[in-house]
Amino acid sequence: MNQQDFLVCRCEEVTYNELMETASRNGCTARELKLRTRAGMGYCGGRTCRPLVQQITKKLEQAPHTRVTLKYQPPVRPISFGVLGGGEE
Amino acid sequence: MYDVIIIGAGPAGLSAATTSANEGLNVLVIDEYMKAGGRLLGQLYEEPDGTYWNGIKESNHLYEQARRSGAEIKLRNSVHNIEKSGDVWLVYTERATYETSHLLLATGAAESPLPVPGWTLPGVMSVGAAQVMTNVHRVKPGKRGVIIGVNPLAAVIASELQMAGVEVAALTLPQMNGLNEEAANPKQVMNQLLHVAHMAPSALIRQGSKWMKPSIMQQLGITFYPKSGFKMWGIPVHLRKAVTEILGDEKVAAVKLATVKPNGDVIEGTEEIITCDFVCIAGGLYPLTELAAVAGCPFYLVEELGGYVPLHNERMETALDGLYVAGNITGIEGAKIAIAQGVTAGLTMASNHGVPGLEARIDQSIKEIEHTRDSAPFHFHPDVKKGKQIVQEKWEEMMKAEQPL
Repeated sequence: MNQQDFLVCRCEEVTYNELMETASRNGCTARELKLRTRAGMGYCGGRTCRPLVQQITKKLEQAPHTRVTLKYQPPVRPISFGVLGGGEE
Repeated sequence: MYDVIIIGAGPAGLSAATTSANEGLNVLVIDEYMKAGGRLLGQLYEEPDGTYWNGIKESNHLYEQARRSGAEIKLRNSVHNIEKSGDVWLVYTERATYETSHLLLATGAAESPLPVPGWTLPGVMSVGAAQVMTNVHRVKPGKRGVIIGVNPLAAVIASELQMAGVEVAALTLPQMNGLNEEAANPKQVMNQLLHVAHMAPSALIRQGSKWMKPSIMQQLGITFYPKSGFKMWGIPVHLRKAVTEILGDEKVAAVKLATVKPNGDVIEGTEEIITCDFVCIAGGLYPLTELAAVAGCPFYLVEELGGYVPLHNERMETALDGLYVAGNITGIEGAKIAIAQGVTAGLTMASNHGVPGLEARIDQSIKEIEHTRDSAPFHFHPDVKKGKQIVQEKWEEMMKAEQPL
């Protein structure tokens, strides 16, 4: 990582340069950029970098006003396996 | 089984709880934080009439009101999923799964980051985090901070930090990169600030600098904007300088600032170092809509409201039966508007639950939202009313498209 590069997705350690290069090389949609780099796919579920990944592809994508470009899936907060499996507290 | 579950114990959620419980409904409020009040908790600022708006006091008041009305309030509990099963909404939380006929999402807003090199160092935080540390927990985030991002929220929190005895060395832009173009462009930031320039006088008069207003207005033209910035509450505000890097080995020690052209490009050789022990990132707010998305609500992207908002009508009903929204999930606005929206949502839920004779009060409460919006001293986005109109139009389009079936 050179001095002017920096992390965008902390969970999956994806850098700014990696995201920009991947997006311009492949003309990515937000979803494709996420799947190619794993940005936003870590344990926090993209809580910090989701808007940043969307920002990068905003110009390349025909702004789809009617749907959220990156899908949300439950659980929307980190929970223990016990809770996820339906176990008691 | 509850009549009403409200997710979010902020101003919208608490006022909706009081309203619907007062109509005899069985109400549960859930919030993941340890205190009720949401983002209202951190607010502390001077109103145009010279009185202070104290978020902690207002939050306590709303909380006590909701408790007295009979609403049950569970804090420190996160909702991780919601799902409709027949006529019942299932609300999955860390502790238990609850059932309800009417579900109100009052989840508020989240902060957008503005990344620059070094932003992952310890000591870098969102400006909202610094506000909560200072005003809610009474812990200073540091001795001397730099705020990256120049906007109304950053300015208000800078003044709050100063009141708490924390030095704010500067409010300044981030260096432009592919993630922050609007927040890093001096011209665009200036245009946004012009809409809140009328807020400056009360703070300046307090410092005995009455004559400063016209000179600030003169300076508000970015081409002539002084490279040394102007001062607000004694804090230097730089629109022609940007942070190119946050420096430090193990934690924040300084930021590197460079002068930028009106279009945001860095002028080589102008770098200077400003020492500080914390950095706040002020990237603005966007509606927190995860649960509405998981439930399958139709959305629309409305920049004037801060991002994607779930489509809803004036009564705060979404397109999904038994699912409602109120507060900043419907667009970024002040706490007083959220409270007014909570009243409408509470009355609508009571009416839909079978409480008779509420129509006139619902209509009145909708007018009250408008009135509160019109008398707000400033708006997070100057065109918020246009944003609200777009939502209304898209809602009507959607309803028309559904009818023939």
